[in-house]
Amino acid sequence: MDPRHLVEHAGWLTDTPPTDVGFVPASLRRAPMGVDALDTERLIVNMGPQHPSTHGVLRVLLELDGEEVVAAESVIGYLHRGIEKLAEHRRYNAVGTLMDRGDYVSGIHNELAFALAAEAIMEIEVPRRAQWLRVLMAELNRIASHLVWYGTFGLDTGAMGQFLYAVRDREALLDILEDVTGQRMMFNYVRPGGVVADITPTAVEKIHAFLSTIDTHLDEHDQLLGGNEIFQGRVRGVGTIDLETAIAFGLTGANLRASGLGFDVRKDRPYAAYDEMDFAVPMSSDGDCLARYLVRMGEMREAVRIVRQCIEGLPEGEFMAKVPKVLRPPVGEAYAAVESPRGELGVHLVSDGSDTPYRMRYRPPALYALQAAEAILPGTLLADAVVILGSVDVVLGEIDR
Amino acid sequence: MSVWGTGILNGMRISFRNLLRGPITVKYPHEKVELPERSRWAVEIVRDEDGSHRCTACLACERACPDYIIRIDVTTGEDRSKHIDRWGYQIGACMMCGLCVEACPFDAIRMGHDYELARFRPEELDVALLTDTPAAGPKRKAADTPADRPERTPVQEAAQAAPESEQDAPREPEHD
Repeated sequence: MDPRHLVEHAGWLTDTPPTDVGFVPASLRRAPMGVDALDTERLIVNMGPQHPSTHGVLRVLLELDGEEVVAAESVIGYLHRGIEKLAEHRRYNAVGTLMDRGDYVSGIHNELAFALAAEAIMEIEVPRRAQWLRVLMAELNRIASHLVWYGTFGLDTGAMGQFLYAVRDREALLDILEDVTGQRMMFNYVRPGGVVADITPTAVEKIHAFLSTIDTHLDEHDQLLGGNEIFQGRVRGVGTIDLETAIAFGLTGANLRASGLGFDVRKDRPYAAYDEMDFAVPMSSDGDCLARYLVRMGEMREAVRIVRQCIEGLPEGEFMAKVPKVLRPPVGEAYAAVESPRGELGVHLVSDGSDTPYRMRYRPPALYALQAAEAILPGTLLADAVVILGSVDVVLGEIDR
Repeated sequence: MSVWGTGILNGMRISFRNLLRGPITVKYPHEKVELPERSRWAVEIVRDEDGSHRCTACLACERACPDYIIRIDVTTGEDRSKHIDRWGYQIGACMMCGLCVEACPFDAIRMGHDYELARFRPEELDVALLTDTPAAGPKRKAADTPADRPERTPVQEAAQAAPESEQDAPREPEHD
């Protein structure tokens, strides 16, 4: 006797799938997508704000039909600190402390975006060594940020061990950043006019030690998670964002490049010393979670290449331009964008001639990634929703500002 | 990726290889990692060999602080000499950005390396780094000025500080 009818609806037992939905293997033992076989009540589930896979304090309201997501709505604002408003009451050299706390995983990029905007208004010529130091620190920070994403993405897909491997490498990076900037996450290092301090000899030693091991460690990461067949089965073909959707939602960064458009601010609108660097932009056209994974892992290897070029060819000279102690930019406005690990991070700065900004607008790339993820969630499984949100790499500090 | 499962076995090989190496963590309360020279933690007063401080109560740090957590109560005597009643500093609200140290023209404060800042009672987070001390005089400051820094007379100091304080005066109510 087949006991399955005791626990399952008789309609599910058929081995031939209904013709109006795509092929569903009989081994999955669940209702085909879009077919409400049991005519059950729909369930509203709050994912977050304390859910460990929401990377901070994101709350997603999911309407579920069985295990299938029917509608998704993200609720943001739990981490709102009013960075844009607070910046109107900070002097120009102190706004960096706020920007650090925006996207707290990649603080250097945030500071850099603000510094570039302020320099554009004031027309400051930044010394060449400062430009190279900015690129060096930004790329080290990019690897650290991608390692956090890599670790937590593994947690989202069910792998635990590789998170600790990611933290091991990130620890070496944070030691370097602490040596140069003084703190591990809230750097306050890049200011309008250059950088606060020169690189230290101990930091150079640490960078060389890091570069000697990182290639084998990245291979290890690739084999631990990317080479794992269970992981591949979990992410391949899941959460596909096609190019049209990606452009419509304003996706940038690795999410856009995984969908097939090779837009990179570092290449298309070079800032700092990126026009002197030799690096490639990893691309994919699949648009699924595996593509986003591969693009980010490729970006880490390119970042290592840029760090190598920086540390070998670091030019001599000043690390700070001659700027007054209290900055008073002339009346005007400027927009500056950097390629942060999450995409195009822009700062639009309006100055009224005083020592504090009149208005600062902060474009967080993760906000657009979250909206795109929200749009593709309906029709996926609840378990895939966690993977999709993890794959687009959202940081709530940046979204809520 | 020929046979299904080779990737999983490869991952296990890496895990096993890491099982054989030593630990990369330290047992924190018993062992401590040495902090880099530039590490920024709680602000502390720089003391000279004879135990004297260099603070002239110019309030540059108080103005530079983005969190408004430094508060220096100063009494000015009849002979225009300054007396520091209390050098207030709220560790709990400090984000250790180092802007006060950068602003200090006399290197009277520095970012310390004391990172064990937990306290049992919240009141203990509001500390007085200096209490009831005469401020260091301009004469002393001139003697201590390093050779590489251009010397400035007190008049120049005042001229430099004046426009800033004017700027800050109307902003005060917003901070509270």
